[in-house]
Amino acid sequence: MKKLLYIFSSALILSSCADVGSAMFFGGEGMYAFTNENLDSAIHVDESKVHLFTVPSGDQDTIHGLFVGDFSQIQNDTIILYLHGNGPSMDGFWTAIANLANVGDRHRYGVVMYDYRGFGMSTGSTRNEETMAADYDAVAKWLADRGLEPDRMVVFANSLGSLPAGPAAAGGSRIPINKLVMEVPQSTAEVIVQNATGLSLPSSMLTEYNFDLAEDMAAYTGELLWLHGYLDDVAPVASARAAMEMHEGSFYKDSVYMDAGHGLRWDIGAEEWERILHEFMLH
Amino acid sequence: MKKILWIGVLALFASCAPTKIVAPLEEGKVQVGATLGQPRINDGALPLIGVYGAKGITASTTAYGSAQVTSILFGAIQLDGGVVKGLRPSQGFMPGLSYSYGGNVLVSSRDYATRIYPEAGINMFWKEGSHIFNLSANSWVDPTWFLSDFGQGQILAPSFGAGYRFRYKWIEFQAEYKLLNPTKELMVPQATVPSTFGLGGRGLYWGAALNF
Repeated sequence: MKKLLYIFSSALILSSCADVGSAMFFGGEGMYAFTNENLDSAIHVDESKVHLFTVPSGDQDTIHGLFVGDFSQIQNDTIILYLHGNGPSMDGFWTAIANLANVGDRHRYGVVMYDYRGFGMSTGSTRNEETMAADYDAVAKWLADRGLEPDRMVVFANSLGSLPAGPAAAGGSRIPINKLVMEVPQSTAEVIVQNATGLSLPSSMLTEYNFDLAEDMAAYTGELLWLHGYLDDVAPVASARAAMEMHEGSFYKDSVYMDAGHGLRWDIGAEEWERILHEFMLH
Repeated sequence: MKKILWIGVLALFASCAPTKIVAPLEEGKVQVGATLGQPRINDGALPLIGVYGAKGITASTTAYGSAQVTSILFGAIQLDGGVVKGLRPSQGFMPGLSYSYGGNVLVSSRDYATRIYPEAGINMFWKEGSHIFNLSANSWVDPTWFLSDFGQGQILAPSFGAGYRFRYKWIEFQAEYKLLNPTKELMVPQATVPSTFGLGGRGLYWGAALNF
């Protein structure tokens, strides 16, 4: 028995050297060359409306962001806040932003995106719910300071972006969220660990980042549009559905496509993607 | 960074180590060894390290215990222990038979969440001099399957292995190919887990041990 206790306590001392939480985030370099080069002409933007900005986050980190539109739009018109997926930087999501900047009409809506800590030129490293929430809040403050109000903000969360979007929608946003789009969202940290191991393991075996979008959606009272594909092998549709259907807010719509995977926008085509999104925005 | 995630996740696969003992050790014999698991992911394999000890309690009963070093590094203490009992020795083409039972305990060092998974297995082995070939089937039992989110748990997590080991005096080497949990689709974010007909994982497992 003594030996068993010795082994167990030794293991305890050796453990906690690494947290998979930070390894879940695939941040990398960002060039931030947001131009019409390589964009389809149908989604060209007025390059004079492309603005880079920085905001402080936490005690020592700097978040780099992108705003496409006129600054006056922030005070008067609808703004889409795009929370990007698990790619190295905003660079990989430029076409999505260009698409959003052309929803309805060219520059009908202003669009904001930012890099989480450790992504692109944003400093520091994303580790958990706190760092994600701090980065989100830094950008929300930037928008609030420029006059954005809740009834003119649409939050669009793509994949990893659903992690900061969930708690923000559940009451953690200084600009309360009334319209939320969840595109190919994850569901819970537990599901990721359980789907990977085949066992009923809690996420704390691997990470301190215990996100739970089901709980967040249950607490979210605004409008929700959920977009997903049945062929998604990154965020399984069954668990995403279970999480999204916890929502009991003012309006709910889902569009789940048979032949689409995690790259939903490419799989269903930009036209359908813009249509379903705009329909929801105008609802 | 992606690799760190994959190693951390795969370290917690059920049965992610070679079958430690297939033919019982001689009475009083002690075996101390290390295992290297290489479950496949994408086009490569990941290194998962474990250590174990075993002792022949009687001529037909061997007790063992082990720890997964890799999962400990990620904050999950993973220990297991059990007994292997010989049913009959190998004789010519007639395989020897043994069965095993034991348990695995995983404890999170972050919040001390604990899971216990009993396991049982059966081994067929052919022993000729220093050479031992084995076919093994094993299953973890998940008594807390209902704690899985959204009702996606399952009670059994089986694995199947085919291996060879060389046991000579005080040394032993082993290699085993295993199919892990081929009853469930395993998904690792932004990675492909090579599977069997879309289910489970697979990999090559190595071990080296000293016999005293």
